[in-house]
Amino acid sequence: MPSIIVLSLVCLATAPFIGMQSLSLADIADEGSGGRILRELRIPRALLGWTTGATLSLCGMVFQALFRNSLASPDMLGVSTGAAFGAVVSIRYGLSFTLFGLLSSLSACSFLGAMAAVATICAAWRLRGGGISEGTLLLSGVAVSFLFSSLNMILQYGGGYVDTFRMMRWSMGGIQTVGFSSLGAAVPAMLLILFMAAAFSRELDLMVCGEEIAMSRGVQVERVRWLLFLAVSLSVGMNVAVCGPIGFVGLVAPHICRSLVGADHARLCVASLFFGGGFLVLCDTAARTLWAPAEIPVGVLTSCIGSAFFLWLLIARGRRNDRWR
Amino acid sequence: MTPLLEARSVGLSVSGSVILEDVSLSVGRGEFVAVIGPNGAGKSSLLKCLGGLVRPTSGEVLLEGRPLGRLSGRDIARKIAWIPQTGTDMLPFAVRDFVALSRYAWRQPFGGESRSDREIVDEALHLTEMSGLAERRMFSLSGGERQRALLAAALAQTSEMLFLDEPATSLDYRSQAEAAALVDRVNRERGISVVMVTHDVNPALRSADRVFALKGGILAHSGEARLFADTSLLRELFGTEFLALDGEGARAPYIAPRSMVG
Repeated sequence: MPSIIVLSLVCLATAPFIGMQSLSLADIADEGSGGRILRELRIPRALLGWTTGATLSLCGMVFQALFRNSLASPDMLGVSTGAAFGAVVSIRYGLSFTLFGLLSSLSACSFLGAMAAVATICAAWRLRGGGISEGTLLLSGVAVSFLFSSLNMILQYGGGYVDTFRMMRWSMGGIQTVGFSSLGAAVPAMLLILFMAAAFSRELDLMVCGEEIAMSRGVQVERVRWLLFLAVSLSVGMNVAVCGPIGFVGLVAPHICRSLVGADHARLCVASLFFGGGFLVLCDTAARTLWAPAEIPVGVLTSCIGSAFFLWLLIARGRRNDRWR
Repeated sequence: MTPLLEARSVGLSVSGSVILEDVSLSVGRGEFVAVIGPNGAGKSSLLKCLGGLVRPTSGEVLLEGRPLGRLSGRDIARKIAWIPQTGTDMLPFAVRDFVALSRYAWRQPFGGESRSDREIVDEALHLTEMSGLAERRMFSLSGGERQRALLAAALAQTSEMLFLDEPATSLDYRSQAEAAALVDRVNRERGISVVMVTHDVNPALRSADRVFALKGGILAHSGEARLFADTSLLRELFGTEFLALDGEGARAPYIAPRSMVG
């Protein structure tokens, strides 16, 4: 556990100095272009990457516990795609408003999109009396994903060149930022899910044991489930509004953490937070340096890594017949 | 005196089909009650209604005279501990951590494990002879060990009632006997009431004070356990012939389906 935290912080601290133009600590105070790159581009970008990774990882952890399935994560179940659809709607129709002075129109629409996806999955889950099999759960996730991505495509198809390019580029998921303003939405998203996951860590432990055991130990299962679904939708929505959908972090990070620190959610929260953060900063650094001067969107890179990991998981678990290790 | 738990004409229907109809029963303090009946008679559903996991569609369940519907999950969990039928075979937790989770209803939000929590967990592990296996993961246990871990978890809940759903399913003879002996002991020595659901009448004859027999969602018979050694009653209930075999020094005859004995 301490090593996860240290490694994660090392990633966060070194990432800004790596890139097309190598920079050193001395450049921070520099008034020239080096210092500006560092202060206005690299540092905010590393922070945004870390926050995003941490958020997605925690959301994945919560989903995996709620669905009792280590393959469930907001992106696997189409929640990120739903959020992306909401955001695309808001870009396409140029919606602009602020909700409660906190949520931008983009965030609010993403949140609604995410909620729509969660509601669809839950409806399927409940219609089957909660006894939905892993295959059905993932398949309904695939269906929801396809639904929203085809809706996305319809909107993109109908858009003008500029809008379409913005929407497409954005739906690949990436961490481009100038200055610290985008952290304003990303950090609250992370704090929200961190607070909820930590506050409900014991309930999550029990819900992993199954609904019956959780209820018989005194957990108000329905209430906890809805609160956490809401929190995940809101966090994913707020985050997707900033970075676009970034796939597979929410699947990979909590999974690896579980094998490192065990299934206890109080510990898992901390591990997922730091691991997810460090992991995405690492991926993003790779994404902007591997093909330099070109940058690939980090979402594309994580999806490459993640889908390989996912396939490996499917095969390995088939052999072990063990859903939770 | 109000009974610990009381069902007043409880009915349950799920999407139009009737699962339970007008079931009334009561469980006293320290009493061992068995609910028997063929598969699909509504036994498990009744247990869920009694334990507040499912809300009956008619009638009500009273816990110490108070309707379950008005109690919180924690309030109920402090009174009723539950050993489920299945679904715990894949759990990733160490035995000790799993048992400690049962303290949920007694712990403060954000509060850690207190010293008394720890002592209670240790004692439950000791009583079920699981202390040596405390660090093992749940999924690596044998069926008998897992049953003992579940019992330890239920004991750590320090409630006044224990609910068992088909406790003997898929256990070998020795594990069955050990688990049954533990439950009997807890019932006798600590005065914890037991409600056991089973399709096998033998554990009911051996351990229970009173038996309730369900058939097609209706309470077909109820009374003292010894009355259920009556093979004609059992034939009517289960729809097959039975033999009562008297063993030497046995507390109750052993009931076997005639077709199995030959």
